[in-house]
Amino acid sequence: MPNAAPSTFTGAADVIAVLVLLTEFAMLRAPLLRSQVRLYAFQSLVVTSLAIVVAATRHVDELYVLAALSFILKVVIVPRIVLRLLSRAEVSLAGSSAFGVATMTMIAIAVSIFAFFSIGALHLQSTALPSAALAISVAVVLVAFVLIILRSDVVSQAIGFFSLENGVSVASLVVASGLPLIVDVAFLFDLLVAVVVFGVLMRVHHGRTKTLSTDSLDRLKG
Amino acid sequence: MAQTELSAPVIQALQDLTILFGAPLVSGVISHVEGRIQGRRGPRILQPYYDLAKLFRKETVVPEGSSWVFLVGPIIAFSCYLVVPLLIPVLTTYGLPLGYMGDILGGGFILALAGFSVAIAGTESNAPYAQLGASRAMTFGALIEPTILFVVFAVGIITATDLPYALAATVRSSSSEIVRPAHILAAVAFFLVVLADTGRIPVETHSGTLEFGMIDEGRTLEHSGAPFALLKWGSAMKQLILYTILIDVFVAPWGLAANQRPVSVALAIPALLGKAMVVGCIFAVIDNSFSKLRLFKITEFLAAAFLLAVLAVLVFYLGGG
Repeated sequence: MPNAAPSTFTGAADVIAVLVLLTEFAMLRAPLLRSQVRLYAFQSLVVTSLAIVVAATRHVDELYVLAALSFILKVVIVPRIVLRLLSRAEVSLAGSSAFGVATMTMIAIAVSIFAFFSIGALHLQSTALPSAALAISVAVVLVAFVLIILRSDVVSQAIGFFSLENGVSVASLVVASGLPLIVDVAFLFDLLVAVVVFGVLMRVHHGRTKTLSTDSLDRLKG
Repeated sequence: MAQTELSAPVIQALQDLTILFGAPLVSGVISHVEGRIQGRRGPRILQPYYDLAKLFRKETVVPEGSSWVFLVGPIIAFSCYLVVPLLIPVLTTYGLPLGYMGDILGGGFILALAGFSVAIAGTESNAPYAQLGASRAMTFGALIEPTILFVVFAVGIITATDLPYALAATVRSSSSEIVRPAHILAAVAFFLVVLADTGRIPVETHSGTLEFGMIDEGRTLEHSGAPFALLKWGSAMKQLILYTILIDVFVAPWGLAANQRPVSVALAIPALLGKAMVVGCIFAVIDNSFSKLRLFKITEFLAAAFLLAVLAVLVFYLGGG
């Protein structure tokens, strides 16, 4: 039996979640640090549109506020701050990472297959819950970890951490769209703290080593 | 009033003839448009037909030391390209008698056999560039193969069959079938496969004369006369076959004949060729607006296509995406 096509909401949520995952994969291969930041801005825009879709289909008006807040913060402010930090650092290319792009993509595919099967093993059967979108958001989180682990520059690690938060947002939007607004805003505030921390980290690291690569961190201090 | 109806074998033959005689036209339109994009006037639209007619009149030169394989390879490839249109929906929405003799994998195997026989004919020529082309074509073909397999899997689990007609019918059945992520991902992955397979992107120069940039074209460098004409015609047919699969199975299976009346079948032919020209122009625009990658970057491109195809299967695996 062919499975019936999903409802419009589920289909839309799944397509948006897939887009988020694909931008996460694009971050893996982006050689320019700047383009990585832009990809993050695009990913945040996609997540914002998911919030609007959920708000419209499930009639949760609070989510419009959340969408507006996350648009201002994640699409405009955070990328702008990181870009400004980058322009001061005057480093544009990411250093070579431990693996080639194709290998990294294969590792990330394997990791996301793990995410899919582990969510599939939970046997969540609900008509209201787009379980594919949930699995994809877990995959986004895991691929963000791959990004943080495999790429050896501070910007990738910061962007990886920020996009990890995007993955969590997707999960919270599709699973618990009725979450109190204050909790969502607390997430965003968390992100703001992370931006400050990573900003300080980038500046200090660049000030000490004149690069943004973390390769120099394993040398002995004398 | 009794409607006259074409019998199934006639329509079946028309499918083949459409691909056979439409392919050079589609290639001609694409290279004309490509010329315009590059600021040239571009060759005439009917130029491929003149080329083929000229080549068929030329004598055939066989390199020293090459065997009969050199001459038989193009014929096998050409006949393979004539078999595949029988298996896929070219003109009709309903399966024709021979349409069930092989599934989508069978069509893939026949296309692979065609590629193999061209490559072996190229290797048989004892010329370094032809052998280089053959070796590259086989290597990259092996890299594309996993993506095609996963696209086939995606098609298979969406429709629970492996017949191309069934997927086209599923896509036509409702609009929510089109926006389901598994279908979109599989379609985009197949689009990338077609891009790579028709020698557009990421590394190949489509119409260059530089031997080092060649993959598919390189294989045929030593052929001449009628066998070369068959190879050229065959590659135009392969391009149209891939476009047809992309259009009639994945993207836009509309405009096909739903019955056996002569009018609707006759309308389906220009519909298919028109859609193929539009798709070809899209490919030409993509080809001309991106820079080529280095040869060994091809794995990155194919990894991206593979990612999409795998995601198509995975998204479907959970919750009927």
